[in-house]
Amino acid sequence: MFNLKGVALGICIALLGTAASAQSIECGSDTLCKVKAAGVLKIGTKDDYKPWSYRAADGSFKGMEVDIGNKIAEALGVKAEFVKVNSANRFEFLAQGQIDLMIASASDTAERRKIVAFVHPNYYSSGYTALLPKAVSATQWSQIAGQTLCAVQGAWYNKPAQEEFGVKVLAFAGTAETEAAMAQGRCVGLLEDDNQINVRLSDPKWADYQMPLPIQADTPWGMAVRQADQFAPFGYFVTGVLAEMHRSGALLDMEKANGIKNSAFLIKMHDALKDHIN
Amino acid sequence: MPHLVTQVLEWMPFVLNGFGLNILMSLLAIVAGTAMGTFLGLGQISRLRLVGVPSRIATQLFRNAPWLVLLFYCIFLMPYQIRVAGQVIVLPSWLRATIGFSFPVAANFSEIVRGAVISVPSGQWEAAQALGYGRKATLFRIILPQCIARMIPPWMNLYALLLTATPLSVIVGVEEALGRTQAAVQAQSDSSVLIPMYLALLGMFFFYTWPINRLSLVLERRFRTK
Amino acid sequence: MIASIEAFFRDLAAKGINLTIFYDAFDFDRFVTGLGNTLLLILFSAFFSILIGAAGASILTMSRGAKAALVGGYVALFRNTPLIVQMYFFYFAVGSIMPVGRNEIGLAQPLIGSFSWAVISLSLYSGAFNVETFRAGIGAVHSSYEEAALALGYSRRQAFFSVTAPLALRFSFASLANNLVDLTKATTVAYAVGVAELLYVSNQIWSDSLNTIEMMNVMLLIYLALTGAVVFIISRVESAMRLPGFGQGGGH
Repeated sequence: MFNLKGVALGICIALLGTAASAQSIECGSDTLCKVKAAGVLKIGTKDDYKPWSYRAADGSFKGMEVDIGNKIAEALGVKAEFVKVNSANRFEFLAQGQIDLMIASASDTAERRKIVAFVHPNYYSSGYTALLPKAVSATQWSQIAGQTLCAVQGAWYNKPAQEEFGVKVLAFAGTAETEAAMAQGRCVGLLEDDNQINVRLSDPKWADYQMPLPIQADTPWGMAVRQADQFAPFGYFVTGVLAEMHRSGALLDMEKANGIKNSAFLIKMHDALKDHIN
Repeated sequence: MPHLVTQVLEWMPFVLNGFGLNILMSLLAIVAGTAMGTFLGLGQISRLRLVGVPSRIATQLFRNAPWLVLLFYCIFLMPYQIRVAGQVIVLPSWLRATIGFSFPVAANFSEIVRGAVISVPSGQWEAAQALGYGRKATLFRIILPQCIARMIPPWMNLYALLLTATPLSVIVGVEEALGRTQAAVQAQSDSSVLIPMYLALLGMFFFYTWPINRLSLVLERRFRTK
Repeated sequence: MIASIEAFFRDLAAKGINLTIFYDAFDFDRFVTGLGNTLLLILFSAFFSILIGAAGASILTMSRGAKAALVGGYVALFRNTPLIVQMYFFYFAVGSIMPVGRNEIGLAQPLIGSFSWAVISLSLYSGAFNVETFRAGIGAVHSSYEEAALALGYSRRQAFFSVTAPLALRFSFASLANNLVDLTKATTVAYAVGVAELLYVSNQIWSDSLNTIEMMNVMLLIYLALTGAVVFIISRVESAMRLPGFGQGGGH
């Protein structure tokens, strides 16, 4: 009995140990070294934000952010492994080491810079506005004060929209729920990123809807790394890949390939960073 | 309508895979929780104040705390990887969530144990004492064997409760059936699949849990003492 | 809010424990709203679930055939599926096929809002467990009581409601307390359908202020207080309704 238990315990520890033996003491705290040694870059992303990050039926991740992640891993010469995160745990996962890089449509705000480090240049940008039915004739935010808009829980603009414009926000776990709720008349419109609304409006399903209100608080998105990695080889590496993607127009191509109209921010960044000779 | 059915079926392997994780978490948590709960339950009825009081406090605390809050603590306070004898052991989210579930399971099982021991007629204790058994021997050789039979139905109920609680882990990011259903609904960007997909999810849980429930009813009837 | 309390918590935030609900008016307001909604959810759902439990247990005991089968089916369905999925179902599925009213300016307005659906869902879920609880309570009443009542000329229905039911209720208190504690904790699930209860507002606050652990601690304390209150109330009701000759006195 004792022998059997001991053997079983030993096997368990050995199996678990071999799984992570690559992260041995030689690399210290150098994330770049650890990632190359492990042969895998763990990237945190959402899986419910089509077309930036979503799932295919076979369980694989797809979308613009996934494409960017694959590109970075390719440049590093390792495999990209995507880990699903949500707004409740994305920063904790990064801090704990469960992911090394976060590409999860996170807005680069001062509050968040206290917890994680954002890599610059920023890889995307968006402001928030409301998707409203064409039947609604409002053109200013003040006209919809007191009305209810459906939104996704955890979005950074839910609080400002309520505080500044007096709209009531009904928040759900995902965009499918917000759409279903709007269809039932529980809210007059959706409070979302302007790029996301643009993607919707290019679909004939949303022909009866519009985006009439001025876009608010255009805030760049940032890829997050641990604070210790910001001015370390790993942070600099990601910075370099990002700058090159802006310069070569790869980000604009990825945007197009995922069915998103080229956004002003990416066009601006490409113009600023592009080659002065070619 | 048939288009909807094929769409839903296409995503079923993805969701069922997640359901497998729910089942795994529930099996591990019930084993761990039962083991811990046995100690806690016996601790509650202990004559020693040093053992009895902490056991009672722990039981009450973990019974009354929301499962979700316990999950959060385990996910955020337990590290992602720990060093044991120079080797790094990885603790993925689902494992930490499982540990989080085993605490309320242990507390509930502790109450089941305590209730079962109390329900044994005091005549048994007195008879054992008359025959010269000490308290510990009485407990382990006479009382507990009688309790096991009457602990099984509430224990199976507890398992069913645990399994239907595992979807809570979606909030802390575990990729189980509910989270996968949500992701599948998102990917199809078609709110008309919302109902069929959730119906399928409901079905999965029902067809796994209901037989367990029936079994526990059968066992309860068999072991009922009138 | 009192300025000194505000100042104290701002200091605390500087030291690392960030409790915005005590120094930010917006967060304080929505937190209090959340707490209020949680209390209302608990009160309404507890009330209806006890009614449903009593009705269901009576039907199961008194009748055979279709009605009993229906109640049995209801209990089986609601006890063997996750509450969160049930709630989604009621809100999105059943909600979408209900008739839609119109408000003052002609916009479509659903007849049953999030809060009401949450109460319905929670009551049905907890009610299923209460049916089992009350049924066990009825089963614990020795048949001699019913027989004595019948011998005295009571009909079966009268014997049930006048003799068996009151006794069954007293036997059910411990298990009922359990179910109500579970219900209290289960109200958190209403966040999924947009009810602004405690978890929903805490989620919003920690998404904005990144103070997840602090908010979790606050939630833990509040729910411990709530469940403690529920257990206390039930035990008071139990003492007030106690009948001589049962429970105490006999074998302990």
